[in-house]
Amino acid sequence: MSTSRQLSESRAIPNRTVLISDTTQLPHDYCTTPGGTLFSTTPGGTRIIYDRRFLLDRRNSPIAQTPPAHLPVIPGVTSQHVLSENQKNSANNHVKNHDGKATTGDDAQFEMDI
Amino acid sequence: MDRVQEEMGCYHDNSDGTNNIRKSVCAALGEHPLQYKYTFWFSRRTPSRPASSLSYEQNIRQIGTIGTVEQFWRFYSHLIRPGDLSGHSDFHLFKEGIKPMWEDECNRAGGKWIIRLRKGLSSRLWENIILAMLGEQFMVGEEICGAVVSIRFQEDILSIWNKTSSDHTTTSRIRDTLRRVLNLPANTIMEYKTHDDSLRDNSSYRNTKISL
Repeated sequence: MSTSRQLSESRAIPNRTVLISDTTQLPHDYCTTPGGTLFSTTPGGTRIIYDRRFLLDRRNSPIAQTPPAHLPVIPGVTSQHVLSENQKNSANNHVKNHDGKATTGDDAQFEMDI
Repeated sequence: MDRVQEEMGCYHDNSDGTNNIRKSVCAALGEHPLQYKYTFWFSRRTPSRPASSLSYEQNIRQIGTIGTVEQFWRFYSHLIRPGDLSGHSDFHLFKEGIKPMWEDECNRAGGKWIIRLRKGLSSRLWENIILAMLGEQFMVGEEICGAVVSIRFQEDILSIWNKTSSDHTTTSRIRDTLRRVLNLPANTIMEYKTHDDSLRDNSSYRNTKISL
């Protein structure tokens, strides 16, 4: 227990209010920590964490559509065309080897809470 | 493999001759960087040929390396889904610099969880496991090495490899994360096998330790 104490100056936390009328007016670093990431911070360092939904949502962005450079050609494995859920069956017909092995279709995708 | 986000720029592959591709992996403007870079691999074996370390190395090849979410989708969208692969085939997605082989020095003290799947589930669950891995859902520091989906005759097998098989805190957390992200039924059997044991019996999926 200290025998003497000094009162520090107290004052209200400074803030300012900015009125915006549209989401485009939000600063581009809104919701980020200085030097950190939008997604998560952990003590001792920043780790980049994405949840499943976020990753899936990036699939349809234009920059994710361009074919990768130097994609090796492996018949039955790599495709020059983008394969999506809808195209799965047509791609399967083109590349499937007819070795007599019966294949079952995938179970329908359903949303699960993570 | 600590990497500060700001330092992630362009680099050039300088691996040994197994790398088919020599290109820079850069994060372009607007792309979302991953915590680690990963390499896609593909392997296939004719079932009649016996498995050996030399033939395994010859039968596995790199497809490409990714460092951002968007790069991942570019590759993934151009790959056949595992459920549509024929024959005895595997996709591997491993951290850059770690070969999907027991003998790689990052794997010597390691092991893997394996989940056996009936036919029809592999495509969806492979997607879920790699999204969880890329998104750092496992929360085990540096321990994750990579994931594999193995297409076999009557079943398919999902595996996730970690560096230290004796670290039970890590392996338990990986197991629990797998249950959560794959939404496995409560009584799903999950098996763990050390790579040391695999080397000894020259088999990936036999003689595992069963965890309930």
